[in-house]
Amino acid sequence: MKLKLVAVAFAGLALITGCAANETTPPASDGPETSAASNQLSGALAGGGASSQTAAQEAWRAGFQALHGQVTINYDPTGSGTGRTNFADGGYLFAGSDAPFSVADAQGDFAACAAGSDLVEIPAYISPIAVAFNLDGITSLDFDAATVAAIFSGAITTWNDPAIAALNPGASLPDSAITPVHRSDKSGTTENFTDYLSQAAAASWTWPAAEEWPAELTGEAAEKTQGVRQTLSTTVGAIGYLDASQAGELGTARIQVGDDFVAISAAAAAAAVGQSQLEAGRAATDVVVKLDRVPTSGQVYPVVLISYLVACQQYADAAAGELVRAFFEYVVSPAGQAAAASNAGSAPLTEDATLEPLVTAAVAAIG
Amino acid sequence: MTALAAAPLAIRAPLARERLSRRRRWTEKVAAASLGVACLAALLPLGSLIWTVLSRGLARLDTTFFTQSLRGVVGAGGGALHAIVGTALITVLTALIAVPVGLLTAVYLVEYGRGWFPRAVTFLVDVMTGLPSIVAGLFAYAVFSLILGPGARSGLAGAVALSLLMTPVVVKAGEEMLRLVPTDLREAALGLGAPTYRVVLKVVLPTARSGLISAVMLGLARIVGETAPLLLVAGFTDSMNYDPLHNRMATLPVYIYSQWQNKGTDAAAYDARAWTAALVLIVFVLAIHLLARLAGRLLAPKTR
Repeated sequence: MKLKLVAVAFAGLALITGCAANETTPPASDGPETSAASNQLSGALAGGGASSQTAAQEAWRAGFQALHGQVTINYDPTGSGTGRTNFADGGYLFAGSDAPFSVADAQGDFAACAAGSDLVEIPAYISPIAVAFNLDGITSLDFDAATVAAIFSGAITTWNDPAIAALNPGASLPDSAITPVHRSDKSGTTENFTDYLSQAAAASWTWPAAEEWPAELTGEAAEKTQGVRQTLSTTVGAIGYLDASQAGELGTARIQVGDDFVAISAAAAAAAVGQSQLEAGRAATDVVVKLDRVPTSGQVYPVVLISYLVACQQYADAAAGELVRAFFEYVVSPAGQAAAASNAGSAPLTEDATLEPLVTAAVAAIG
Repeated sequence: MTALAAAPLAIRAPLARERLSRRRRWTEKVAAASLGVACLAALLPLGSLIWTVLSRGLARLDTTFFTQSLRGVVGAGGGALHAIVGTALITVLTALIAVPVGLLTAVYLVEYGRGWFPRAVTFLVDVMTGLPSIVAGLFAYAVFSLILGPGARSGLAGAVALSLLMTPVVVKAGEEMLRLVPTDLREAALGLGAPTYRVVLKVVLPTARSGLISAVMLGLARIVGETAPLLLVAGFTDSMNYDPLHNRMATLPVYIYSQWQNKGTDAAAYDARAWTAALVLIVFVLAIHLLARLAGRLLAPKTR
């Protein structure tokens, strides 16, 4: 009786431990062509950080793992702050972060890096931040920076406030309260958004750019990009900010630039990055863009998020360095950027003639 | 009352009985009704839960779900084979750690323990029963991080965390089962000149066999749905991993969490996968409970 039970248990186990149908290990050596170094990569690489990169990372990992059947890349969308902390502690071999390490922190020690190694930061994911709202029957509203700042700071509390109505003469705005939704965790999206507000609406937004939402402001707090999306889609009258790839069915704001209102698009986001300068005082591999948040004209969407991939220039473990370089090479390649663009609606880095060579050089230096 | 008290006994008795019985009948009806309502109230969430999981989980309950992992899947499609295999492997490993420790502790407490030490063990086991699962996870995380460096994640670490949760359950339930074995049987065997270890091996354990298996199954059912410790120490991955010693290993509860929390652009596909995984997990736990019942019945000692 006991034997029979054991046998049944083992049969069941054998049944479910069959190989996954979508995971085929590539043939060991098919011929001289396939024995290139790239096909011999194997191992697992763990990284994590910015939740805004979730959709892009999904596309990158799928694309990269299709090329390298023996490599497994994992990405935990834990938020930028956690990602950078874990990278510094050596828990992650690479990190995704919406905000780069500060110039001072970039000089510090990172557990996974070889002693004296530079930090590699590349703007891998350029995406507009949607100012998204949930109002019945309204899919688009026009805002200027001052109005957005007033809404999120609590100065404007109802949807039919004169300031909103003046910008949207045609819209039938309801007489209901506005629920501003912000991130409860340390978030690079928050930093990019508050950076925009503090530069473009300095008069009505007196807080500095920071990863944590100003504590004295009221409003609903939600965790990670997914929490904001959840709260927005279940609360009528809510407004929040989140990566445009996650805005889904929500209404989104057009932002005033000069005399025009610019809707969210990858091209407008790319234009904002194209007008910006590199941040000075960093290593050659540390490519950080200082965004110009107050463009004066053109189809430029200034509420842009640049999400960085962070790695060591020199890893303590050479095998890890090889994996990270191969993965980053794929990410910044035309194929990788196109995959992210189609899955996450980001602006391809490859179209930026100034950034692209810098980034490619930085990635090539990883070892 | 005063009128009744004045009446002769022969008349008073049937009257009182009638009144009392009427009151009793009502009391009984009210009690039965409230018991029934309480029963329904307890079943209502269960029914609602089963209905919700079935109605949302059946959509993706297809062969793909059981034959594919999430590796290379963008958006819809993909399955949970890696998580199902991971849950099976980690559960087996947990049992390998927790069952010997738990059962041997139970035997010691019932058959050998004298004095202050077994009382201390019992007290500690009681404390362990109430251990929050995240604390077990943190313990395993600390141990494996100290040995293997930060960020170390593996199926074995998950099994260590879960065995901390399973062991006390096995000890408590196993102890109860061993105490059910009649003292007469032990005395009879001892009287025949058998040493204690033979009494335990040949008399006590076979008699309590079905109960002990139930104890183990209860312990398994307790840990198979744990999320927090596994999220911390086993992590999540999209790919198959048969090696519990290295790299992350996906499990069903963490699969549900990550599908719910880390949705991509096409949110509905992720929700559907999470619901189906929840359904599979519920069936998994149900199967363990059924196995426990079955084993209990099949392996019960012959009473003839």
